[in-house]
Amino acid sequence: MARNRKVTAMKKLFAGLAIGAAAGAAMFVSTNEASAQEIQLTGPLAHAPAARHLRLHREGRIEIAPSFSATLLDEYRRTLLVGARVNYGITDWLAVGVWGAFQGAGFSTSLANQIDANAPRNAGLVKQNVSPNAGQGEFQKQVGEISYMAMPQITAIPFRGKLALFQSVFADVDAYVFLGAGVVGTKERADCTDVVSCAQNHDLQAQNHIAPTWGLGFDFYLNNWLGLGLEYRMVPFAWNRAGFDIRGQDANGNRTSSGAYPDGQVTSADATYRFNSMISIYLGFSFPQQPKITD
Amino acid sequence: MKQSPLKLLLVAALVALPSTAYAQKKTDKGDSSKTDQPSTGDDTGVPGGGLGGGGTGGGGTGGGGAGDANSPDSFICQANPEACQVPNLIKEYAAKDLKDSQVYAVQQIYALRRHRVEISPYWSATLNDQFVSHAAPGLSINYYVTNVLAVGLNFNYYQPFNADAEFNKLNREATRLAVPINDYNYGANLNFTYVPLYGKFAGFGDFIFHWDGYIVGGIGAISTRPVAVVDPENRNFNWKTKVAFNGGVGLRVFFNRWLAAFLEVRDYVYNEQLEDTSVTGKPYVSGPNITGTVRDPNTWYGQNSLTNAVQAQFGISIFLPFTWTYRLPK
Repeated sequence: MARNRKVTAMKKLFAGLAIGAAAGAAMFVSTNEASAQEIQLTGPLAHAPAARHLRLHREGRIEIAPSFSATLLDEYRRTLLVGARVNYGITDWLAVGVWGAFQGAGFSTSLANQIDANAPRNAGLVKQNVSPNAGQGEFQKQVGEISYMAMPQITAIPFRGKLALFQSVFADVDAYVFLGAGVVGTKERADCTDVVSCAQNHDLQAQNHIAPTWGLGFDFYLNNWLGLGLEYRMVPFAWNRAGFDIRGQDANGNRTSSGAYPDGQVTSADATYRFNSMISIYLGFSFPQQPKITD
Repeated sequence: MKQSPLKLLLVAALVALPSTAYAQKKTDKGDSSKTDQPSTGDDTGVPGGGLGGGGTGGGGTGGGGAGDANSPDSFICQANPEACQVPNLIKEYAAKDLKDSQVYAVQQIYALRRHRVEISPYWSATLNDQFVSHAAPGLSINYYVTNVLAVGLNFNYYQPFNADAEFNKLNREATRLAVPINDYNYGANLNFTYVPLYGKFAGFGDFIFHWDGYIVGGIGAISTRPVAVVDPENRNFNWKTKVAFNGGVGLRVFFNRWLAAFLEVRDYVYNEQLEDTSVTGKPYVSGPNITGTVRDPNTWYGQNSLTNAVQAQFGISIFLPFTWTYRLPK
């Protein structure tokens, strides 16, 4: 028993030493970190701003930036848009503005060309879906296209700084995100409500969609009043890009690709939701030409 | 309960280990009483430590702090002349007239990469394939031969994450045409990375973080196979490995001197074998791989197509070792 008590006491002693050693090690480690922090708090740079003499490229300035955009991951038609962005910098990290663009050019994808050339027009459903006369470019004329976009938006600029290229060229740069909503004008296949009219009519008609938009980008400031921008934008909305009858409406009026499909009609029920994306480049002119500079 | 002290020790060791590793250079092997003297501590200590320019450790490459040990005649300097350069450089720079000197936008590179290993787990997502998305987890390991040049490997594992878009099905039903599509299995590459671009950002005007931009390129292999969409009843493709070239650009943001997040766009270029869009051969009767039937794999493949698989790859980078030595003082 006495031996057991002695062993137990030794275990307790060992446990106490171990706990003490662990606590000591923890204190030693934390002391190291705390002392490093202390230097920063009491040094000559204590409470100094992170950056001095910042050029405020946005605050109190209007930026007018012509843009060129190209849609990405297109199924049947690529669209090139030309437009402009106008932003007013409420602060250097928050701006309000609008981006607008219209179609400058459009190109058919390889898939659209293949469908035009090879789709079997004798099949019933294909007869409704694809323009007749294979290989004459008629299918390309029935696919949807983006006509214009107008997007009021708020831009937040959380990060700004400078870059060095090859340690010889330096430029101010900021990174931003934006969020907004607006109108998208498209041309999509006109509605047809029976098999005969759908087989004969493949014309387009103008439509408008309300859509949100968001994205991110970089602005590189070449000098005090000129900047170069690169931006990725997403504009999700539902539209019928190919002009196909790919959905019907069930008894409740919901879009479905089973049951009521095909319904022999091309209507808004055939629109499918898509995260339309594009990449844009900007050349921005800021007014007034001289930015404010912080202390 | 009997094991609790051991557990506590283990926890303490785990807590202490990273901090010690992070700050190991800070520990002075020399005499701590010499810290008031001109020190090389900032050069060898915790990167960025010692805003006042002194550092807390002294010593460092001099192996014993400042003083006689750094005398050109000392044993240390004779044995390792490089160790005595820093005090001389400090004196040299202190004597300079800065009026006409060039002041660099980024005075001291925040995270040196030279002779460090970068381990980067990441996620890869397809950017340019509207028919099948090829997402993949990946891992890359780079070794920086110089501060701006690295050689490394990366591996992407695509197979469980290939996703056939609904758009393919809708298009097939609407037009009776099938678009040949392919799945990916894996990709492995030898890469060379060049970092010509670096800078720093102010976040919300309040804190500073550093970033760099790089270009990457290399050669490797990618394993792919067609997805049987034209004749799925008879065709079943095996994985085939092809040579793939890749090139890309990336952006890396440092959270501290050994941890960063990165985003890169990489184009993997390879010659893809597509499924034949027509069905040739005699109708299948029985027996496997009978020559001349629709089950003969020789009849399954169509044209080859030079394919650009553009992927967005984003993840984190861990640089080892955690600390390093600046050549010049701050």
